[in-house]
Amino acid sequence: MRADDAAPEAPIAPGGPTAEGGPPPSDGPGPTAAGPPRRRWGELVLAAATAALGGYVLVAAGGITVPGSANTLGPRAFPYLVGAMLVVAGLALVVLVLTGRAGEEEGGEDVDPTVRTDWLTVVLLVVTLVVHVFAINVVGWPFAAAILFGGSAVVLGARPWWRAALVGLVLGLVVQVIFGGLLGLSLPAGPLLEGVPFLRG
Amino acid sequence: MDNFTALLDGFATVLHPTYLLWALFGVFVGTAVGVLPGIGPAMTIALLLPLTYSLEPTAAIIVFAGIYYGGMYGGSTTSILLNTPGESASIVTAIEGNKMARAGRGAAALATAAIGSFVAGSLATVALTFLAPVIARWAVQLGEPDYFALMVVAFITVGALLGSSVPRGLAALSLGLFLGLVGTDTLTGQQRFTFGVPNLADGIDVVVVAVGLFAVGEALYVGSRMRHGPVRVIPVEKGWRTWMKRDDWRRSWKPWLRGAAIGFPVGTIPAGGADVATFLSYASEKRLAGTERRKEFGKGAIEGVAGPEAANNAAASGVLVPLLTLGLPTTATAAIIIVAFQSYGIQPGPLLLQSESALVWALIASLYIGNIMLVVLNLPLVGMWVRVLRIPRHYLYAGILLFGALGSYALNFSPVDVLLLVLVGLAGFFMRRYGYPVAPLVVGMILGPMAEDRLRRSLAISQGDLSYLVTSPFAATAYVAIVVLLALGVWLRRRERAAA
Repeated sequence: MRADDAAPEAPIAPGGPTAEGGPPPSDGPGPTAAGPPRRRWGELVLAAATAALGGYVLVAAGGITVPGSANTLGPRAFPYLVGAMLVVAGLALVVLVLTGRAGEEEGGEDVDPTVRTDWLTVVLLVVTLVVHVFAINVVGWPFAAAILFGGSAVVLGARPWWRAALVGLVLGLVVQVIFGGLLGLSLPAGPLLEGVPFLRG
Repeated sequence: MDNFTALLDGFATVLHPTYLLWALFGVFVGTAVGVLPGIGPAMTIALLLPLTYSLEPTAAIIVFAGIYYGGMYGGSTTSILLNTPGESASIVTAIEGNKMARAGRGAAALATAAIGSFVAGSLATVALTFLAPVIARWAVQLGEPDYFALMVVAFITVGALLGSSVPRGLAALSLGLFLGLVGTDTLTGQQRFTFGVPNLADGIDVVVVAVGLFAVGEALYVGSRMRHGPVRVIPVEKGWRTWMKRDDWRRSWKPWLRGAAIGFPVGTIPAGGADVATFLSYASEKRLAGTERRKEFGKGAIEGVAGPEAANNAAASGVLVPLLTLGLPTTATAAIIIVAFQSYGIQPGPLLLQSESALVWALIASLYIGNIMLVVLNLPLVGMWVRVLRIPRHYLYAGILLFGALGSYALNFSPVDVLLLVLVGLAGFFMRRYGYPVAPLVVGMILGPMAEDRLRRSLAISQGDLSYLVTSPFAATAYVAIVVLLALGVWLRRRERAAA
């Protein structure tokens, strides 16, 4: 349903794991029905990654040092169990996906089940978050917060951009005053606002 | 009677004007955030945790109780007034409530949800007051293998059984267990899966994982397929005093009581918490309705809002029983509550009622007060919540990202935690996309280290004799109960499907 109903011009960033595998989706099932095979590849990768992580856990568990005084169940036992569970669950999911029983994606109030995945938005949101992380110690928390809020709002469709940026700046400063100044969290105010007393955490 | 005086002492603490203000603040913020679409109770608590970081324990726990009830309550407003349901505990409310709202009876739906939540919440809090000390006294006698058995029960019911896909639930649970392994082994001091990174030696913070999965994962997922265009909120008529007509009261009071009776026990046992309770209540209301009324179900029957909403709130109190007395989280929300308590320096468990008696009774007293505040606040303030629902979505999700980042940063004031948050958020995005449930991961991450600890202590006592794990009467009963629960779970899931 969702694949063929989607607008044909829906923007899709290249490189996403949305390889269009399998036959074209049949129409008919409602939006809650199990997805058509078009997302198989991404899901297969996730299932295989789960199994691979399990394999790694099993191997790495052997490398955990067991102190001589340890009693019957040392620090390795649980990792072995967890690794085995990951492998079993991952392999079971690989089989499930290969036999066409794909996962049911999550719904939500603001999720439009008929729209194709917009990978560009996801990538840009992640980039904004990473920029925020590295900005905290350079420009201070309020401005890093403004970057995060303004940036992600614009990515999500806020127009005009300067209004989103302004809202972000105000929000960042308000949070700084409330959490840093009043509640005593030591959020770094940054070089620009270093001397302002009520902003200090 | 002893507990009664303790409870009165709790009230004496909470009724102090400063603490009353904190309680009001908690209820208000909890509802405001809980009303926001896409934010369930677990996410509400995870996002609002930083508010309580710098408070002293009593104030923190009072604010926290308000947030918990407020967040639980806020979801119902959303599902009645918006077109599509968000969190699973509100799905049932949305079935009937949304239909009622469209038929112009939104006010009655909101009122029966609010008053029903109050009635059931109060009843369940009374039950909690009486039950918690009894269970705590009994739990002191439990040995290490008994606790391990309890945790196995919780793993099975919360982790894998009650999702729509067992392998996906198992995968999520195992991932959570793995994340719980990262860090220094408590019993031998060995580093496990830390990759030599000093930040990981203390383990991965559950708050980062919870906020990452719930808040960042949700924001990324919604961003990937956003519903554009204006938000359609169903208008509500003014004048809340006349919302419930005589007929509405007559049809609501029995479902409220039944909802409380269903919700509290279901919340108490590790069987999936509020979601299951709401589905059970809905199914029983539908069955008990006469042939005339049954036709209304699916078209906006008030019983279908009153019962499940009452069950939802009663389950929220029921969840606190195993949480406070056994330290056992039975839902994702409960898992985050445990984290919150630990950050206040409180370790839930059988000794909590003795060691932190004043604090626990203050918490229970503030649940009573929070309930009253909720019903007083929410009926007149509905107009405001409607406005909250209209927040443009780009600002809403930008704000969720901002507060998620703030919460992780405020843990240790280290940007590394925020970077970890982004990674976990990406994982949450892919889990949502491919239908992996998120809750078992959080529960597994909390329960995993606890269970490992109990298991290894048991086997240290028995010197490796595995039969020690099952020979105590309680543990044996628990393992039998697992078999029963598995059968029951299959049955419940059928009911759920039938109801939905």
